[in-house]
Amino acid sequence: MRLEHLLIFGAVMVVTWFAAIYFWPRLLLSVYRRAILVKGFGDGPVPVNTLYTQQEALFADPLHVPSGTSKLASAGVNRDTLLSLGWLDLSKGPLVLHVPEMAGRYYSLQFTNPSNNTNFAYVGKRTTGTGAGDFLITGPRWTGDVPEGMRHIPSPNRAVLLIGRVLVYGDQDLSRAHGLATQMRLAPVH
Amino acid sequence: MSRTYTYFTALVGTICVAFILAMVFLPLTRTVRSDVLQGFLIGFGLAFVTAQIYGRLKAVRANGWITMPGLGDPDNGMLMRAACAQLFPGPVNTSAEAVYWWTNSDGAGATLDGRHDYVLHFPAGGMPPHDAFWSLTMGDARNRFVPNPLRKYSVSDRSGLVPNADGSVEVYIQSTPPADGEPNWLPAPSGKFILWLRVYQPGPAILAGSYVVPPVARAEGSQR
Repeated sequence: MRLEHLLIFGAVMVVTWFAAIYFWPRLLLSVYRRAILVKGFGDGPVPVNTLYTQQEALFADPLHVPSGTSKLASAGVNRDTLLSLGWLDLSKGPLVLHVPEMAGRYYSLQFTNPSNNTNFAYVGKRTTGTGAGDFLITGPRWTGDVPEGMRHIPSPNRAVLLIGRVLVYGDQDLSRAHGLATQMRLAPVH
Repeated sequence: MSRTYTYFTALVGTICVAFILAMVFLPLTRTVRSDVLQGFLIGFGLAFVTAQIYGRLKAVRANGWITMPGLGDPDNGMLMRAACAQLFPGPVNTSAEAVYWWTNSDGAGATLDGRHDYVLHFPAGGMPPHDAFWSLTMGDARNRFVPNPLRKYSVSDRSGLVPNADGSVEVYIQSTPPADGEPNWLPAPSGKFILWLRVYQPGPAILAGSYVVPPVARAEGSQR
């Protein structure tokens, strides 16, 4: 009898231990999903498949986060880059990401797989340069041809967390940087 | 990786181990219901402890600064991913894009506190190598921005740091303006604080692990 109880306890413990370690990153990113799609960052919820850039005012005065909105975009201390966030659902077809001419300015768009919190692709100064460009983002098992002039970003998961960072050189440069960040856009394929 | 988390990890670990030992060696009355419930709780506690310990083993410490190589890397394994999710709760950059260092202690191991003045001395040619930018950002004990009259929250490659005659650069980390003027001042709160050093598109020396961040040194006789 005693051994039986020990076995049940042990089995549940080991399974929970494994599952908790395995699913921890996914749990963490589900918080981001909720923050983006449900709460938003000061302008209401961010619709799926759109990229939202944090307000200029929040960057200029990071001490005051608007109430009732997610603090995730301003979590921690970071005053280098304007943050853009978007939650992608590729189950209804691929998306096109457009980036403007950044003229040498540092920027990056990080593609994170929300099932394990790892980054599978980057668009930006380091990987694709700072020129204007269009990128076709496709989900798993997508087949087709990448349109002329576009580069291909295949995603291993139909959900994607997209994080944009555009460098701000200083207070005088903020609105210019913000203008560039808002020109990074997602659109369905026509 | 604050001390609070260390103590919490130790506490959870001790409770889990003590519970398992009690389970095995003490004659307790048990039901299947309590087996499942307790197995779940203890398993969850052990998962937390495992990831915390693993993260601490994989963290690289030098001069009081802590960094984690391999964040966000698809090849870094389940344990590492759990550790990253706990210690850096957010979708952080991969090392090739950006490397982060964090500290809450000076080079001698004492907790950073605004009651003292500190100097971060970069030797000539010893600034963090990068192809994009770097920054040193101040946070209070709870990782929030520190209000100050200059509205200055970080120093960086863009903030107009003035080098010394020999090319070295000193950053004055203190709660009152330094005598040397404001360009090299990073305003600190009056209480405990932490520092973040971020280097975007880090150079080969950082990715290879050979670049060492200089220690945050407490200035002599600076007790307020």
